[in-house]
This record gives sequence, C-alpha cells and structure tokens, in this order.
Amino acid sequence: MNKKSGANVLECYQCGKCVSTCPVSQFMDFPPREIMQMIKLGLKNEAYMANSHWFCLTCSACSGRCPREIDIPAVMEAVRHLAIEENYLNDSKKVKEIRKFHEIFLDMVKRYGRNYELRMMAEFNIRTRNLFKDMHLAPKALLKGKIPLGVKPLKSAKAIRRMYQVADKLEKNK
Amino acid sequence: MKKLTYFPGCSAHGTSEEFDSTLKLVLKTLGVELEDIPDWNCCGATSAHVMTENLAYALPMRNLVLAERLENTTMGIACASCYQRMKVTKVHLDENPDLAKRINTTVAEEGTYKGSVNVKSMLQFAYEDIGPGTIKSKVTKPLTGLKVACYYGCLLTRPKNITGFDSPEYPVSMDRICEALGATATEFDYKTECCGASFSISNTEVVESLSGKILEMAKESGAHAIVVACPLCQSNLDMRQPDIEKHQGTRYDIPVFYFTQLMALAFGYPAGQLKFPRHIVPVEGALANIGKVEPEQEKVKKPIKAVAAESEVE
Repeated sequence: MNKKSGANVLECYQCGKCVSTCPVSQFMDFPPREIMQMIKLGLKNEAYMANSHWFCLTCSACSGRCPREIDIPAVMEAVRHLAIEENYLNDSKKVKEIRKFHEIFLDMVKRYGRNYELRMMAEFNIRTRNLFKDMHLAPKALLKGKIPLGVKPLKSAKAIRRMYQVADKLEKNK
Repeated sequence: MKKLTYFPGCSAHGTSEEFDSTLKLVLKTLGVELEDIPDWNCCGATSAHVMTENLAYALPMRNLVLAERLENTTMGIACASCYQRMKVTKVHLDENPDLAKRINTTVAEEGTYKGSVNVKSMLQFAYEDIGPGTIKSKVTKPLTGLKVACYYGCLLTRPKNITGFDSPEYPVSMDRICEALGATATEFDYKTECCGASFSISNTEVVESLSGKILEMAKESGAHAIVVACPLCQSNLDMRQPDIEKHQGTRYDIPVFYFTQLMALAFGYPAGQLKFPRHIVPVEGALANIGKVEPEQEKVKKPIKAVAAESEVE
C-alpha cells in the first residue's frame, strides 16, 4: 500500500483530524482514520469493501491538515484502484451509481476525445434506471444554452482511442 | 504583449462558456494573447484518476506534449479540475522519469514529453503574472458597493506541494483582485470547503448538503454575490441553488459570478457581453448594489449583551 500510494500509512497515529476535516466523512461507512487503521492491521477485505474510497472527493483537505503529513487521498486512491483490479465489488446502490458515472464519463472521452455533458447525463439516467433525475433542470439549462446539445469531436479522436488501448495494456501488464 | 498557451477544458464549450468568453475579453484589455493547444483533449477529470492510474496520467500528458510544440513556456488553464489534473501529472512525471517513460508510450505518436511547459490556473496567472495593480489601472467602472464572497474550492490551492499557489486554508488572491476592481471581499470562512464536485450527477444529495453550507456561510458573511474561478463550483452553486434551497428549506438568492465576469464589468464592457442571462440565479439584484454607499454605523456589530438588553426593554 505504501509503495502504491507513495504515502506512509504507518505514520498515522489516529488523531482523527482527517475525520473532522473531511467534507464527506458523514456519508462513509468508515471515516478515513478507520480506513488507515484497517490498512495498518492488514484488514484488506474490510478496507476494500468499504464505500469510503468511492466517496473520497480528493479535495485534499485532510492531507493539508494531517499532523503526520500523510497523503490520505493518495491512500484512498490506491485502495480504490486495487479494489477495482482485484474485483472487490461494493454493490450498494450509491457506490454503483458513482462507479457508473465515472465509467460513462470515460466512455464519452473515449468516443469524442472530450466530455459530452448532455449525453453523459442522459446515459447516466438511462443506465441507472432513473429517467427523470434532474429533468426539472433541463428546460432552463437548455433554453439558456447552459448545456449545449452537441459536442465537436476531436480531429484526432482515433488517437485518443489508441491511447486508451495502450493504457489498458499497461494496466493489465502491471 | 504577453503570450500564453490556453487550455480551456471541455466545460468551456458548455456549462462555463461565460468563463471562457469573459476571460478572453479581459485578457484582450490586459494585452495577453492566447494561443489554443491544437486539438486538445479532455484531461480526464475527475473520472480517470478515480478508475485507473495510467489513463489518469495519459490524458493530461497528451496535452502537455502538444503544448510543448508551441513557443510559449506557460500554459494557462481555465477549469480548476483540468488545472489540478495537469499540474499533478506534470509534477509526478517530472519527479519520476520511469513513470514518464511508461506513460509516454500511450502518447508516443504525438512526441516525447520534455517537461518544458509550466502550468498555471487562470486565477494564478491573473494574480502573479498580471497583478492586482495592473488590473486596477484598467478599471473604468469600479464595483464600489458590491460585497462578494470569494470562493476558491478545493482544487486551485490544494494540495500545497502540487499547486504551490496561495494558501490551502485561507487564500486571498481572488479577494485582492476583487478589491482592485473596487468591490469589497467579505470575511468568508468557507473559501476552500468542497462543493461536492462531480457528485453533482451521481450523488446529488452530497452536493446539496455541501454546497448548501457554502451558500449559507456566504450569505452570513454579508455578501451580495459569490465569486468563483471553477466551472464545477459555479454550476453546483448556481444551477443547483433552487434544489439546495428546497433541500435546506430556505432562500439564498445569491448569484455566482466568475471572477472574469466581474473584471470585464469593471473594465467597462457592456453587460450585454457578459452572458448574465445564462445564470440560473438572476444577477440584477446583486449588481444593483454597485454605486451604493453603505452608512458607516451598519458596519459596527452590536455586542450580543446590548441587543439582549434592548429586546428586554421592548
């Protein structure tokens, strides 16, 4: 974990400053302090299956205030990447939705080279079976031109697809 | 004339088009010429780094490699998320040549990464490279009377070792710029609290709770408006404000401007060019405060005891 995240988890002395700083700790199964302790104790299954790393917004408020200067968001990210790689699936509704959002986002970028906001929102609603989510915002946002109907794909959109393939290979050869 | 490589970010063609267009207006007045990165791509924020390590570096790296082909040595980035992904990638690639070599295989067809381009957010560029003094000298219509809460969000100043800009806890660069425009920056404690970022779509309750606190504190600080430098913060605080009001059972009615919109206004551009109709929360009420002079006694807060004593008398 230390090698993957570049942070030294063993430095954590459980003061809890990260918990009081974290804007989303109230939504987590286990706040950052407890995840740190799980890692120290080798409770891999518990740490990977918690929803905490999915809720982490990488806002870095915790690491800025951590008296041991541990890069906690990097630890959260490492836990998440390993959980994805090793197929530890937290199947709560919220985590599924967060994950789906990120998958759709990356799919948009793969297809167009840039994000296509309207299509991303539409696909999210379709794939999470919640068709009417945010529909009340649509008339105003569309009328005001806040969210455009189309996207101009990149000239080199194919190069982005090739980049995805190479990155995918790197991911598998780790 | 200063030249700057420009990375607008995807939202500049969508939700934050008013940031992009007003930024171009004010930089024209300030004598800065922008050069777009040809065929730039999405930086991957925030999904790429959530899901996979390699893609999280590869997407920004392609833009950095493309930017290195241009003459300028500084890249200015409008979107705060793009700025952070680009800066994190640059710092990590520069620190770790093995990583740079590995990720470079994903963008090999564009060229080899050299690390010769410096990355700055547009707020940082306005503050460090132009400066409040120069900005003040271009003001023709000062915003006197307008009280603003400057909201920076998480990404522009944190983490300190990556951004190296302003304070991660209580930044003041945007406050100084707004003061140069003639506005008053309020004492606002939620400057760097998170707005909920990309949970806007996937986890709206989180955004409503976090952004609600920011609106609440901005209102409490006495501000007529909030000023931001990040497209996601703007859309969470503005577009979602009616929902947040419902969620919190209160009314804020506080518009959210990009700092470049206020700069353009103070530089004398007509309101018609500043894209105010794109705002969900109407801006007219807040802007009506420009030119009003506040009576002195209102500024002095009465001690709580005195207030209590008064109400007893009544």
